[in-house]
Amino acid sequence: MAGQSDPHLSVFSAAEVEFLAEDEMVEIVPNMKMGPLNFICGDFGPFRPQIATEVPLWLAVALKKRGKCTIRPPQWLSVEKLTQVLEAERDSPREFQPLPFHYVEISRLLFDHARDDIPDVYMVRSLIEDIRYVRFSKVESGLETISGRTHAVKLKNLSAMEVNIVRPFVVRTLQAFYKHDSPQMIQHPDTAANRPPQVADRGPRRDLRRR
Amino acid sequence: MKVRTVKLKETHNSNGVSSFCSILWDLKAQHLVTASASDSSISIHDLSQPSKPPKILRHHKDGVTALALSPNSTCLASGSIDHSVKLYRFPGGEFQTNITRFTLPIRALAFNKSGSMLAAAGDDEGIKLINTIDGSIARVLKGHKGPVTGLAFDPISEYLASVDSMGTVIFWELSSGKILHTLKGVAPDLDSETSVLNMLSWSPDGDILAVPGLKNDVVMYDRDTAEKLFTLRGDHGQSICFLTWSPNGKYIATSGLDRQVLIWDVDRREDIDRQKFDDKVCCMAWKPNNNALAVIDDMGKYGMLEPAVPLSMKSPTDGAPNLHAKNSNGLLLFDEDEQELSVSGSLSDASEGSLGESEPVSRKRLKKQSILEDEDIDNGDQVASPPKIESRKRAHSHKECLEDNIKGFSGISSARPKMQEAFQPGSTAVQVGKRRFLCYNMLGSITTTENEGYSHIEVDFHDTGRGPRVPSMTDYFGFTMASLNESGSVFANPCKGEKNMSTLMYRPFGSWANNSEWSMRFEAEEVKAVALGTGWVAAITSLNFLRIFTEGGLQKHVLSLNGPVVTASGFKDELAVVTHASDCLPSNDQMLEFRVFNISNGVQPHSGRLPLSPGSCLTWFGFSEEGQLSCYDSKGVLRVYTNQYGGSWIPLFSASKEKKSEENYWVVGLNASKLFCIICKHPDSFPQVMPKPVLTLLDLSFPLASSDLGAMDLENEFILSNLHLSQIQKKIDEMVVAGLDTTSLDDEAFNVEAALDRCILRLIAACCNGDKLVRAVELVKLLSLEKSVKGAIKLVSALKLPILAERFNSILEERLLKETMGAPAISNSTSGAAFKNIEAHALPMTTRNRASEPVNPLPQSKLSSPPITKQEKLQEGIKIGQKIESNKTSLPPPKLPSPASNQEKSEEKSRVREKPEPSKTVAVGNKTEGIDQLPFNRPTNPFAKTSSNQEKGSLLDSIKKMKKVESGGKK
Repeated sequence: MAGQSDPHLSVFSAAEVEFLAEDEMVEIVPNMKMGPLNFICGDFGPFRPQIATEVPLWLAVALKKRGKCTIRPPQWLSVEKLTQVLEAERDSPREFQPLPFHYVEISRLLFDHARDDIPDVYMVRSLIEDIRYVRFSKVESGLETISGRTHAVKLKNLSAMEVNIVRPFVVRTLQAFYKHDSPQMIQHPDTAANRPPQVADRGPRRDLRRR
Repeated sequence: MKVRTVKLKETHNSNGVSSFCSILWDLKAQHLVTASASDSSISIHDLSQPSKPPKILRHHKDGVTALALSPNSTCLASGSIDHSVKLYRFPGGEFQTNITRFTLPIRALAFNKSGSMLAAAGDDEGIKLINTIDGSIARVLKGHKGPVTGLAFDPISEYLASVDSMGTVIFWELSSGKILHTLKGVAPDLDSETSVLNMLSWSPDGDILAVPGLKNDVVMYDRDTAEKLFTLRGDHGQSICFLTWSPNGKYIATSGLDRQVLIWDVDRREDIDRQKFDDKVCCMAWKPNNNALAVIDDMGKYGMLEPAVPLSMKSPTDGAPNLHAKNSNGLLLFDEDEQELSVSGSLSDASEGSLGESEPVSRKRLKKQSILEDEDIDNGDQVASPPKIESRKRAHSHKECLEDNIKGFSGISSARPKMQEAFQPGSTAVQVGKRRFLCYNMLGSITTTENEGYSHIEVDFHDTGRGPRVPSMTDYFGFTMASLNESGSVFANPCKGEKNMSTLMYRPFGSWANNSEWSMRFEAEEVKAVALGTGWVAAITSLNFLRIFTEGGLQKHVLSLNGPVVTASGFKDELAVVTHASDCLPSNDQMLEFRVFNISNGVQPHSGRLPLSPGSCLTWFGFSEEGQLSCYDSKGVLRVYTNQYGGSWIPLFSASKEKKSEENYWVVGLNASKLFCIICKHPDSFPQVMPKPVLTLLDLSFPLASSDLGAMDLENEFILSNLHLSQIQKKIDEMVVAGLDTTSLDDEAFNVEAALDRCILRLIAACCNGDKLVRAVELVKLLSLEKSVKGAIKLVSALKLPILAERFNSILEERLLKETMGAPAISNSTSGAAFKNIEAHALPMTTRNRASEPVNPLPQSKLSSPPITKQEKLQEGIKIGQKIESNKTSLPPPKLPSPASNQEKSEEKSRVREKPEPSKTVAVGNKTEGIDQLPFNRPTNPFAKTSSNQEKGSLLDSIKKMKKVESGGKK
């Protein structure tokens, strides 16, 4: 599963994250009649015209491309809800609003493939952009607080794409801090050099060892 | 006269200064509104929650001198010393608008009967007539020399009467704004008094105007001539300051400066009761629905005189004219309110609302609104210009007035119920500038929109892949009715004058011939409803003719129907027509009947009354996907026609049982287990064309009583499956009669039976948990599969209920005995009874279905049981339960583990056990071998009947025979 783009940092590429997001369920309104589909991931359908049913996003997009259904945008993907989220996002500089884990990818896929099914698509799109922007600037400002004393960074409600962007940086930063701050490396450079690099080492243990 | 005290509650603090106070009831007598001239607040007392403090409205800057409530109680007006007249929503009390301002304090307010006009007057010169719709001043009536203190619209809205503080009464004609009569100095001169105001009041029928007289009396004036008719003189020691008519006009309550309230019988012209108070009572109001009188004194204390009229006499509300009915024309100002009201009311007074135009409820709301608009404009006209009402004096008889009134407010006044008008199932109301559905069904939709005199009609199929593409059509006829099926669409328009005759048009979607659409014209006849099915088109006309055409346009049949048509629907060969059976009942119940015609066979298989919920009207009518006749009424109850009990309608869905109250369900169709509908958010009762509506599936459910079992879902499923089973059974019978292959149906029936058994088992579990053992036993008897009975035994033994296990065991034995003894006999005797006894018909069914399965071995082993004693049986039963538990997959004959005391018996049994086994395996493996084996098995069964099965060598033959026998019996 590890990302092919950079095997050392265990990062997914954007396309991979999007692929993972395609398993999210969305509601579609088919305009054809079709029996149930039996897949490894589960059974979907039966499909009846004008009767809403839930399918994974990839199936929805595939059907949509063939003109066999309309996708019902999820509840959170409305001007009203997104405006609320954006406001709340701006109001609380330290917290992230709960949004679906794959909101970036889902909205992107829907904008690409089902723009005619989303009411006020331009507005929705710009709202999503704004939310992303606001959230990412929050992430950035949050990461500035990382220092040598930081053992972990807690970011609640962060979405998949955001985590994916931040992950290599955070991991590398923590590693770098660790490397520079490690008292062992200063006191016993020889022993440290003999040991394999400890990436997963945590702060508290360091204290114990110092004694 | 007996002395009683009336307890008064303080509501407005007057600081010891006597000041004029007002009190009002709302229409439903749920709220009392009070105000005082020394207090800037208005209180709305909710009488249903006496503990709750009254709602206080503080919008005025100075004391409130006048209150008025619109006749439909949705709008409250208040006038104040601060020169303004304000409107509020009622009973919510939200401030609405400053409808007008004066330069001096307001003294009197009055709404006209329709609520479209408010009269306001005070110390200013002139009475303002204000249009409540837009706040425009329709007219200013000038003529009074002093402050106007009393205003009253006559109930027919022809005149306005006003009185000033000097005692001058003026009759105004509303249509022209002219003074008709001026009566100078007829009322007491109260100029010096600040706490009381002169006032006057029309009798509820509008014939008499009552004005306080100069001699401590009440003087009655004629409506048209303003002549003095008679006076009421009695116990008042000082002049009268307030008077009010009882709702029925039989009594008058008066209050005088002598601090008394007197109740008068107007017909007998004498006072019948009196009540003394500590302070002057300056305002009173009769409770609209009860024998009570609300009073408020000039200290701001209010109370209730109850009973107001001695109980020995006729109630003051008895025989009150229904003129000021609930739905009298509301203020357009509050049209959202109105709509809400009309829709929320649409359940309760649905047909009442639809009387006027008798549309299906879905259309009602819009129509109503448009009528409101029209009416309000009309009213405006009536006031602004004098179109029709010349001063028609006495000649204009009272009755006529009433009728005019009713006609004027058609659709709103609840005077009399009307028969519902014809409609097409799945059509929506006309909306200006918007597309609407002429027909919406499970297949597709026909929509129309009017554009510059002609319409565009589009036909869309839900399944865009499969349905034919139909080009949109420009419609010069103005079609208002349409119907759609797989092969074509039919349209019809009503006749509009001589030139535009009613036309019926059929358009097939695909035909091998060119120009295969056709149309029919009707002279002096109007198409009211259309329907189509396979190979036929039906139109029902205003002459109550049912005309049936073939697909090609051949006029095949013309039948006369019993009454005016309501709606019609087609499904394959069947046409169902709903007609009125008679005028509707006074309780607003539509009297409808239905008829089903089979067009290809030319028969009429069903007919009868169409049931509706009380006070509702039919809103949807059609067939389920399986072809079951169904109807849906405006109260949200779905009924399906079944053959149970010789053909009856069963309620299968109730919108009120669904949790969400803000939703309206617009039915599109149904199948055996689901209702397909479009959910409309509350104010709307029908969907729009854009965005494309999405169907929602709702579970069908019987309106079951809440049982002590608490397993509603299961019980519901139980009845539904039974119903389903009976339908399948019926179909099988029909097919057998027709000599068709029923295997697929048999399989379906088996599946349903299995599902039913599962449901019953769960119900049994619920019964056992709820300690309803008798019910559990009843349920076991209903199980159709033997395996399920054993499952039930296992279940109850697991639940540690040995009594039940024993009973179940005996039931099982009995059943097995029956099965072997007389399978054919059972099928003969019970086949006539329909689904009620599933067990009965299930038994032959199982044998039929699983011909290859071994039917014999179990009964054989069973039949050796009779000699065993009862005690043994009990033991055995428990054992069986345990045994089955341990050994799930195989179905050992319950006898097997029996600890037989008798050696011989056990030996015999083992013999019996061994014998069937080979047959079992063989039978499952290969049918023909099983047949060969069959005669070999028989002799071991001591009770085996030499039935017809055996005479024929082949099992297949025997099964066929059984079927025949059964079907013969069912016929």
